[in-house]
Amino acid sequence: MPTKPLSIRYEDDLRLLSSRWRKAGVVLLVLFALLFPLRASSLWLTLGSEILVFVVGGVGLMILTGFTGQISLGHAAFIGIGGYTAAILGGTYGVPFWVIVPVAGVLSAAVGLAVGPFALRLKGLYLAIVTLGLVFLVAHVLRSFPELTGGLSGISVPMLWWFDGPTVSTAQFELLGTPLSSAIQKYYIFLVLAVIAVLFATNLRRSHTGRSMAAVRDRDVAAAVMGVDVARTKYVAFGVSSFLAGVAGAMFGWEAQFLTIDATVNLLVSIEYIAIIVIGGIGTVVGAVLGAIAFVVLGQLADAFLGELPLLSELSSAQRRNTFQAILVAVFLIVEPFGLFGIWMRIKFYFMAWPFRY
Amino acid sequence: MQTFLQLFFSGLALGSIYALVALGFVVIYRASQVFNFAHGEFVMLGAFLMISLVRGGMWWIVALGVTMAVTGGVGMGIERVVLRPMIGRPVFVTVIVTIFVGALMRVAINVIWGVGERGMPTPWDTTSVMEILGARVLYNSVAAILATGLVLVGFYLLFQRSRIGIGMRATASDQEVALGLGIPVGRVFAFSWFLAGSLAALAGVFLGMFPRIVDGNIWLIALAAFPAVLIGGLESPLGAVIGGLALGVVQLLAQGYVNPLLGAFGNNFHQVFPYVIMIGFLMFRPYGLFGTREVERI
Repeated sequence: MPTKPLSIRYEDDLRLLSSRWRKAGVVLLVLFALLFPLRASSLWLTLGSEILVFVVGGVGLMILTGFTGQISLGHAAFIGIGGYTAAILGGTYGVPFWVIVPVAGVLSAAVGLAVGPFALRLKGLYLAIVTLGLVFLVAHVLRSFPELTGGLSGISVPMLWWFDGPTVSTAQFELLGTPLSSAIQKYYIFLVLAVIAVLFATNLRRSHTGRSMAAVRDRDVAAAVMGVDVARTKYVAFGVSSFLAGVAGAMFGWEAQFLTIDATVNLLVSIEYIAIIVIGGIGTVVGAVLGAIAFVVLGQLADAFLGELPLLSELSSAQRRNTFQAILVAVFLIVEPFGLFGIWMRIKFYFMAWPFRY
Repeated sequence: MQTFLQLFFSGLALGSIYALVALGFVVIYRASQVFNFAHGEFVMLGAFLMISLVRGGMWWIVALGVTMAVTGGVGMGIERVVLRPMIGRPVFVTVIVTIFVGALMRVAINVIWGVGERGMPTPWDTTSVMEILGARVLYNSVAAILATGLVLVGFYLLFQRSRIGIGMRATASDQEVALGLGIPVGRVFAFSWFLAGSLAALAGVFLGMFPRIVDGNIWLIALAAFPAVLIGGLESPLGAVIGGLALGVVQLLAQGYVNPLLGAFGNNFHQVFPYVIMIGFLMFRPYGLFGTREVERI
């Protein structure tokens, strides 16, 4: 196993992908992601799009909880704001998706920034429960304007190409002889958004702001003493995180095509995102991606296999998923706190040192 | 005035249930610095178990005792198996673990009992009413208030007088010193979880009584009780009780007087109103009424 070459120039340290192996890995991953929809069955294509939604939302939560250490149970509120922005703008006013993406993000970020003052005064549990309150408040507001949000009966979320134009399904494209169906087009759009989110978070982590975030997470008083602007860092973290969550919410809406308040703005949705970053490995961008993939793929497999077991077959598919997710997260937290990323690092170090133990 | 009293007494009854739930949070948090998100599931377990036992022919009061003991035992087991290995880990981690333990318990309860709605049996006629100061108050409400009062007195005596209670206070103030002085900290943890579990079961029994019902959503009471815990201060049993009672009264008064003022926005506004108050309150007192202000060191 090749080790990382010694950096002898400053430019080496600045490069996004430090070694040839890492480059090769990323190229392979991107190629796989590009070619995957052309051969995948419709079920796996849906799962692929779902993964990309979770990647964007997971990266958002990772910036807030993983980088900055602010526990938030309110991610579902931002997801909901994004989703309903997409639904209302797209459905009622016929706004195309590429306008909705930034608008959903900015609206959600505005609400996220409004939480900022609380984050400055409250810590840990108190902050977690205030953000949980935000979920209830957003759900209540959405429920109070049924003429806009469809109320309890829900609202459909069309994804348009152009103002009052066709939905993505009718546009005709072809790639390598495969006609691009609406689902595949959606997948590619999501892929672009997810790649942007991942690149953004990776670069954010290497920037001045990213290092301030890590300092605030590790010990905010010490960070303040050393001259880190704690208030600004927390505001940025909440703003960026809720921006990404808003975008993920819009994507979630387009993927589901129909939103109801109770299923979208819900503590369980927040918990799903926490599960993703815990499974993947807290504090790393790779963790959010791995976590999203593991969460969706394992959830699907669990749904298929756990159904065979005698007692669990009585549960609904969503309950089986929740059960499996619960067990998985509990095991990870007790046994491997750094998640899949931690497992990967251990394997890597084992082979790097081989044949020695360390 | 009569409407006000009516709302006030129902609020007090609901508030005493909130107080029991909030007290459970505080007991566990003081002992082991774990914020137990699975608390609502203890409430749920208590309610479902009670119904089965009474329908199975057990005397009501015996069934209540058995329910509280069993739920407390489940709490003790969860502490021993899941949370004991997590001592010393950040609060965040234990929060997540308890959230998922709660999810598992909910699934288990669904599998065992199903989620259909059912009524809580009572030894008196469930819908019978008594008159207090001209307001018509359900026997159920009076029973909830009285039972909570009794529990609180017992709780006070336990904390102030009994050996284990003093051990609990010592553990809450400094775990390592308590251990050094020979206080069995492990047993204190176990007892705290037992206590919290049985308080939750008691809350569940009264929560399920008419005019409310027992169904798959009864665990949400724990989320509704958060404002009481935080406004009271996480480490203070007194704060939890005051917060809980106030929460119940404020919620029902809001339902009666604030909701109609807000028009369409007021539909079910009383359910989020406590959260609004809590968020505002924490801006001015970030550690609640009786919580300890943390001293930060570098």
